[in-house]
Amino acid sequence: MNAEFLALAQMAVGGGLMGMAYALVAYGFQLTYAAGKAVNFGQGELVMLGAFIGLSLTGIGLPYWAAVPGAMVAGAALGWFVERAAVRLALQQRNEGWILLTIIVGLFGVSAAENIWGRDDKPFPVPWPEGALEFFGISVTWPELAIASGALGIMALVELAKRYTMLGIAVQAVSADPDAAELCGIRSKSAISLSWAVSGAAAAFAGTIIAPVTTVGPTMAAALTLKAFSVAVVAGLDSGFGLVLAGIALGSAENLSGFLIGSGWREAPGLILLILALALRPQGIFGKKIIRKV
Amino acid sequence: MKASRFILTVLLSTSLSTGAKAADVVKIAITGPFSGGSAPMGISMRDGAKLAISRINQNGGINVGGTMMKIELIERDDEGKNDRGALVAQEISSMGDISAVIGTVNTGVAVMGDKYYVEKGIVKIITPAAGSASMTQWSKAGTKDLPIFRFAAHDGIQAQMVVEQATRLGLKKVAILHDATNYGVSGRDDLIEQIKKQGGKLKVVAIEKFAIGDKDMTGQLIKAKVSGSQGILIWGIGPELAAVASGKEKLGFKVPLIGGWTLSMSNFIDTAGAAGNGALMPQTFIEDESIQRARPFIQAYHKAYGVAKIPSPVSAAQGYDATILLAEAIHEAGSTKPAQIKASLENLKTTVKGAIADWKKPWSKWDPQNVETHEAFRRGNTVMGKVMNGRVVLANPSEKVVLEGKKVK
Repeated sequence: MNAEFLALAQMAVGGGLMGMAYALVAYGFQLTYAAGKAVNFGQGELVMLGAFIGLSLTGIGLPYWAAVPGAMVAGAALGWFVERAAVRLALQQRNEGWILLTIIVGLFGVSAAENIWGRDDKPFPVPWPEGALEFFGISVTWPELAIASGALGIMALVELAKRYTMLGIAVQAVSADPDAAELCGIRSKSAISLSWAVSGAAAAFAGTIIAPVTTVGPTMAAALTLKAFSVAVVAGLDSGFGLVLAGIALGSAENLSGFLIGSGWREAPGLILLILALALRPQGIFGKKIIRKV
Repeated sequence: MKASRFILTVLLSTSLSTGAKAADVVKIAITGPFSGGSAPMGISMRDGAKLAISRINQNGGINVGGTMMKIELIERDDEGKNDRGALVAQEISSMGDISAVIGTVNTGVAVMGDKYYVEKGIVKIITPAAGSASMTQWSKAGTKDLPIFRFAAHDGIQAQMVVEQATRLGLKKVAILHDATNYGVSGRDDLIEQIKKQGGKLKVVAIEKFAIGDKDMTGQLIKAKVSGSQGILIWGIGPELAAVASGKEKLGFKVPLIGGWTLSMSNFIDTAGAAGNGALMPQTFIEDESIQRARPFIQAYHKAYGVAKIPSPVSAAQGYDATILLAEAIHEAGSTKPAQIKASLENLKTTVKGAIADWKKPWSKWDPQNVETHEAFRRGNTVMGKVMNGRVVLANPSEKVVLEGKKVK
C-alpha cells in the first residue's frame, strides 16, 4: 500500500513539475491575448526555436547562464516578428486570419529548424548536478526543479513589471481600452508589439528550461502548443495564478492516467478537461465572465 | 516540326548513350534512415558501405565476366518511417536496372517495403535491421524463392544472449520494457521465448511498453521497481533508451540494463551520459583498435570521414562487409542480373575476409522452414558489449578471441 502510494505521489509530482512548463507556455498566450486579443498558435515552435538557439549558443562556448538570456532576446525578436508578419494586418482588417497565419509561421519555424539543426533529438547540456534529490521518498531531478522555479520566477517578474513599471501600466491600459489609451498618448500598436516580444521571450526561456529534460528536436513542441492552450482555456485567459494551478493539475493528471490506465492514455485527461471547461465554464475556471454591452 | 525532330534525335541519342554507359556499371542502391532517431545506424551503415565501394572502384571495379565494372551508387533516405520505406522500395524496384540493394535499419521498413523487391526478384541484403519479423515474414508466407538476405545478428540470437547475460549476472526476477513498434514488440516475444527455452530460470515480473518520442519513463520504471525486478531487459531505440536510463538514475533504481544492440547507438550513449554506463548489449563489432582484425577498418573509417568515433560501429562494419560480400557474389555470378547474383550469394565459393570475420559461405539455398539459410550471423560471431564513458567496450574480455576471428563457424 505504502509503496503504491509513493509510486502515485512520484508520478503526480513529476507530472506537476512538467505541468509548470505548460503553464509558462500558456502564460505566453495570456500576454498577447490581454494586449491584442490574439494568441500565437505557433507558440510551441517558438519554444523549440528558443531551445535550439540556446543550444547553439552553448555550442559556441557560452555558459548556460549567458545562453538563456541570449535565447530570450532571439525569442523576443521572433515574437515581435510573428506579430508584425502574421497578426497585425489580420487584426486591422478585423478578421481571424491570424489563427491560420500564426500556425503557418510556426510550420516555417519547424522547416527552418530541420534545415539548420537537423531532425535528430539532441541533448541539452546544463550546469546542474547530476542525480536526483529525495523528498519523503519522492525523487526530483535538478532540471525538473529548474523548470518549476524558472517558470514561477519569470511569470512573477513579468507580473511585477506589468504592475509597477510605466511600460507595463501602458500595456495594461491598452488591454483595457485601446482607444482610450491612445487618447492618453499611448501608442497601442507599440504596446501590442511589446507584449508579443515578451511572450516570445517567455517561450524561448521555456525552451531552455524544458530541453534539458526532453532533449531538443524540431518536433519537441508539437504537443506543447495544444497542451498549453488547454491549460490557458481551462484556467481562463486572464489569470496568471490559475495557469499555474491548471498546469500542475494537467501535468499530474497526464502522468497518473498514463500510470494507472496505460501509457497510451496519457493525453486523454487534458482533452477531457478541455472539453469540460469549454462546456461548463467557457471563460475558464479562474476567468472573469465577459459582459458584452450591446 | 523541325525542332521536334531535333529534340527527338537528341532524346534518342542521349538514351542510347546512357544505355551504352549503363552496360559497364553495376547499380547498387543503399537505403536507410539518414535522418531521425535511427540516423546514427543508417549513416554509419551507408558510410561503411561507401568505404568498400570506393575501394572497389579505385581498383577498377568488379570483374564481371571479364569486364571491369564500376559500382554506381543510388542512395535513398527512408527516414526510419514505414510508409516512406515502402515508397523508397517501390521506386528502386521499378528502376529496372538495379542489381542489388543494401540497407534498412528499421524492421518495420523491411516488413512494409521488401515485398516490392521480392516481386521483382531484386537482391537485397538487410543490414543492420535485426528484428526477427523481417525474415520470418517470408517463412510464414512460405515464399519458395527469396532474394532477401540478412547480414546482422538477428533478434533471436540477441535475445538469447541477453537472457544468457541476465542469468550470468545471477538475476532471478526481471522486467521487460519495449517500445510499441514492430521491433520492440517482436523483441519482447523473442525474450519471453528465450527465457522459456533456457529453462525458465528468469521470472518476468513486469512487462511495460513505451511509445516513440516518450521522454518520461518514470511510470514504467516505478512499476518495474515495485514488482521487485533485479534487472531490466529492454528492446527499443536510442532516444527512448536514453530516457529509460535517465529515469533509472532519477529513481535511484540501480539494476542492470540489458538489451538489444541498439544500446550501442550514439544517440543512446551521448544522450544518457553517465546514466548509460554499464548498459549491456550484443555486438558483432567493437570499435577497439587493439583488435587486430578490426584495426584497418576502424582507421580507414576515421580517416575517410574525419571522425574519432564511429556513430554506430556495428552498422559501419556490417555495411562494409555486406558490400564486399555482394561484390564477390557479383563477380562469381559473372552477371549484373539479380537472379544470378542471388544464386551466387546462396553459394559463395571464395572465403571473403571482412572487418568482422572471414566469411565462408555465409548463406545457403533458401528454405522457408529454416530462416537461418538466409542469415549470415550465428551466436558464435557475436559478443557482449558494455557502455563505458561514451564508448562500447567488451563486457567479457575473454570474448576478444571471437572478434579476432578464431571461433568463427
